[in-house]
Amino acid sequence: MPSQNQHPPIADPANRTSLAWTRTAVAFAAIGGAMLKVSPVAGCVVLVLSVPIWLVVHRPHTAVASSGRRLRLVTGTVVVVALAALAVAIFGHSPDSLGQLLRGR
Amino acid sequence: MTRPGDGHESPHDRQGDQAGWAGPSAGGAGPGSAETDPAETGPAETGPAETEPDARFTLANERTFLAWSRTALALVAAGLGVVQLLPPFPGVPVGRHVVGIPLIVLGAVIAVAAYADMTRNQRALRRGQPLPRSVLPRLLAATIGGVATVAAIVVLLSATR
Repeated sequence: MPSQNQHPPIADPANRTSLAWTRTAVAFAAIGGAMLKVSPVAGCVVLVLSVPIWLVVHRPHTAVASSGRRLRLVTGTVVVVALAALAVAIFGHSPDSLGQLLRGR
Repeated sequence: MTRPGDGHESPHDRQGDQAGWAGPSAGGAGPGSAETDPAETGPAETGPAETEPDARFTLANERTFLAWSRTALALVAAGLGVVQLLPPFPGVPVGRHVVGIPLIVLGAVIAVAAYADMTRNQRALRRGQPLPRSVLPRLLAATIGGVATVAAIVVLLSATR
């Protein structure tokens, strides 16, 4: 969070950036919640991954406080979510999953 | 700077607002701090001298990256929704996968490309150079156009069977 004694011109952009981080964390939590219905394990993983992203903004003195590391954390998390979604779509246990459809042929 | 969903003006648009103010790179360890990270500046090269840019530019760059990350996440969610929640297309059993899986893959690609873009932009800001052109809008537009075309074909095929 922006500190109280920041130069005034930077407090507003810093607040906007802080809100952008919060929106990103909420987006992760939302997709995690949605994935819970499809695949509880993958959904839980995504939900848990949204916690460090939220902490990045609200606990700036953690080990992930470095800007580069924070951004890599987000990138890595999106890639992990995409891989989990791909795994659910292809190898899911649903009779409609791609793997089941191809095996059925 | 392209920033889907955010609606903030680009750092270059705002350049006139801050003439004469170098901007603090200090000011707390929050998102506003413009800390130097080797991953952002890239490997040491013999090139133009690098100086810490105005912190507002760094913040705008970070918000752009976050907006792209949310776009990537939305694509992944949309792809997963298409595969898991849509009813099967009659006569086209793999129709949902043909539409949904490219969206999920595009989400992963956009997340990585957004990080690369942000790194390049930050380097250009440090060197006082013009921002490099981003491939992300074209990539997104082309892939969504392609997926929409495929979706239309799948719907037409299932309607005719």
